[in-house]
Amino acid sequence: MSFWEVVSFLSDGFVFSLIIFAVTLICGVPLGLPIAFCSMSKLAPVRAVAKTVVWIVRGIPLMLQIFIIYYVPGLLFGNPVFSNIDRYIISNFEIPTDGVLRLLMINAGGLVAVLIAFTINYACYFSEIYRGGIESIPKGQYEAGFVLGMTKSQVFKKIILKQVVKRIVPPMSNEIITLIKDTALANCIMIPEIIKQAKELAATKALIWPLFFTGVFYLIFVGLLTVILGKVEKKLSYFKD
Amino acid sequence: MAVLEVKNLRKSFGKTEVLKGIDFSLEKSQVLSIIGSSGSGKTTLLRCLNSLEFADEGTITVNGETIFDGSTKVRRSDEELRKRRLHFGLVFQSFNLFPQYTVLENVMLAPDLLKKDTHENNKEKALELIEKVGLIEKKDSYPCQLSGGQQQRVAIARALALDPEILCFDEPTSALDPELTGEVLKVIRSLADGHMTMVVVTHEMGFAKDVSDMVIFMDEGVIAEQGKPSEVFGNPKTERLKAFLASYSK
Repeated sequence: MSFWEVVSFLSDGFVFSLIIFAVTLICGVPLGLPIAFCSMSKLAPVRAVAKTVVWIVRGIPLMLQIFIIYYVPGLLFGNPVFSNIDRYIISNFEIPTDGVLRLLMINAGGLVAVLIAFTINYACYFSEIYRGGIESIPKGQYEAGFVLGMTKSQVFKKIILKQVVKRIVPPMSNEIITLIKDTALANCIMIPEIIKQAKELAATKALIWPLFFTGVFYLIFVGLLTVILGKVEKKLSYFKD
Repeated sequence: MAVLEVKNLRKSFGKTEVLKGIDFSLEKSQVLSIIGSSGSGKTTLLRCLNSLEFADEGTITVNGETIFDGSTKVRRSDEELRKRRLHFGLVFQSFNLFPQYTVLENVMLAPDLLKKDTHENNKEKALELIEKVGLIEKKDSYPCQLSGGQQQRVAIARALALDPEILCFDEPTSALDPELTGEVLKVIRSLADGHMTMVVVTHEMGFAKDVSDMVIFMDEGVIAEQGKPSEVFGNPKTERLKAFLASYSK
């Protein structure tokens, strides 16, 4: 196999990594907000439920959560949703003989399970970052808004939110960078993300170097993220609180 | 007729009784200074006026309209609460400007959100107020670029933008260097000259003496003495006030 063939084979895997990355952010970033609000709720039962969920999700390994989401519907409820998705796609669509589309189609069920597990997991981590950010805004900012006759939602949207965003960009950047590397966990249910692809090459072609070469993909992507997140941080540096 | 009438206001936090029955009234265009040592309930009183805290008992009446009555325990709707708050303006000890907005935006934000007038008119009014507090050249600066005194002057302009009937100050100069207090006091003085009705909680005795029409000395949750500044400062009756004033003349 030539170098570029290997790169192309690994790239197919990195597509999975990027999909997991993107979907987790798109769904997890907003989902973290209601969880954060629940964990700050005035109602003790709501708070207790939110805190328990966050405790469980942060308390057990993400890999285990992937197993739970993937296997529990079948084991406990006799309804293997995710393999049913695979079966449905295989019997209703024409599967290409190779390429990334083929990989996506035959792994769709598992991928959905991974996306659910990642979204829930990251939403919980994000919610704690949001909570910390929201609680760190001085009470005086709310009061200044209230005495000016603003409604609670105006105070939150027009005054608090941007200050929270500014404060949470550094910890969020950290999580986002961790996320791209966490996508490798998807290979525990045989999703052909980049490291699984590299292991495949080791097993079938006796090539070990691609496994280490996957690091280059991560490094380039994290480099890109660092630049983008740095720009966001800079954009918010026009004010200090 | 009194603009503001407070009757038998009581407030406890847990077991600590902070206000033990406060009564006073304020005429239009008068300036009331509230003095007293820390923990005497001055700030809590202001916060009750501005509906940031709710008293347990007593009434607050503005222009004959009872805006707070401790004996009716019905839950206040947010709408009603906001209307009540608009009778008052409040300038905080720690300024509390909105850091992400410029001076002009800070002053305009609430009038725009409350649709007080058209955006253009709100802006014109805001600029007038910023001019009045002497910061027109800073209108596009962010709070972090201003000194404490300048920030507090912006906060005053911001509070004035909604035309409150009564403007309250909670130790407006306590967070400032001595050399910056002057500029803020000057602005408050000019408001007094412009017949703004004001309630000022302050530790600046000289200022209270000069500007006020009435002075209240609070001690442990009660009004220990009240009267014209000449009486309160010139002829204190209680030992407590004598001791308090003596601590300032040292």
